[in-house]
Amino acid sequence: MTDPGPGPELTYTRVFAAPRELVFRCLTEPEHLTHFWGPVGTRTPPEAITVDLRPGGVFETVMVSESDGSRYTMHAVFDEVAAPERLVWTEPASGVTTISTFKELSGPRTEVRIVQRNVPEAFRRPEAQAGFRTSLDRLASYLTQQTGATR
Amino acid sequence: MEGEDVSRAGATAVDERLDAAFTALADPTRRAIVAQLARGDATVNELAAPFALSLPAISKHLKVLERGGLISRTRRAQFRPCHLEADMLGEAMSWIEVNRRIWRERFDRLDDHLRALQGDDRD
Repeated sequence: MTDPGPGPELTYTRVFAAPRELVFRCLTEPEHLTHFWGPVGTRTPPEAITVDLRPGGVFETVMVSESDGSRYTMHAVFDEVAAPERLVWTEPASGVTTISTFKELSGPRTEVRIVQRNVPEAFRRPEAQAGFRTSLDRLASYLTQQTGATR
Repeated sequence: MEGEDVSRAGATAVDERLDAAFTALADPTRRAIVAQLARGDATVNELAAPFALSLPAISKHLKVLERGGLISRTRRAQFRPCHLEADMLGEAMSWIEVNRRIWRERFDRLDDHLRALQGDDRD
């Protein structure tokens, strides 16, 4: 395992019973993203999703907590756009790069593979870097995002 | 393997353990208890002091935290000080675990969305 970037490479794979073009559109069009993007307990209204589908274009989603209305923004920039096969974006704040590949299978079915690279050490062991208080604060916001728990 | 999250071998046991930890941490009172224990071990009485909650109510929260593997309690005497299991907390907090969960849930919902799209309105 020789990984050029810092940190491990994370992979998430799923096969969907749908044609590749449709799955690709779901990942790149606000009216589709709004149905599944935000974590449980949040909603991501279509008007709060920006997809400028070209290299250098912005990919931004604002997730709104259903319980207290607090907002979380994911801001990324597309590095590669090759519809309907491949999509690469990087979040400048963290440096994490997310590579999505869409593989056509018979059926028609589509295998989506999400690979994340350059995951910073601080993301792997937050308590080692930032101290407990900061970690707990970050934990609280993550969990609010996750569960929509009221504070 | 189709339809499965194949992100990591043996993920199921890890997921179950983390599910319990996430459930435990979903409540603001329990997060406050965890924050207090991060400063050092404390008894139930000490933990109850900052909250307008009865001892049984605090004990209930502690049991959930214990089930989530986030705290442990010694068996001795009536004091039974609570101790924060920092490793478990670190694991539950790690960006990797949170992110893995986000993508798993996202994929579940995308699956539902694709089924709805193709069922109602073939496109």
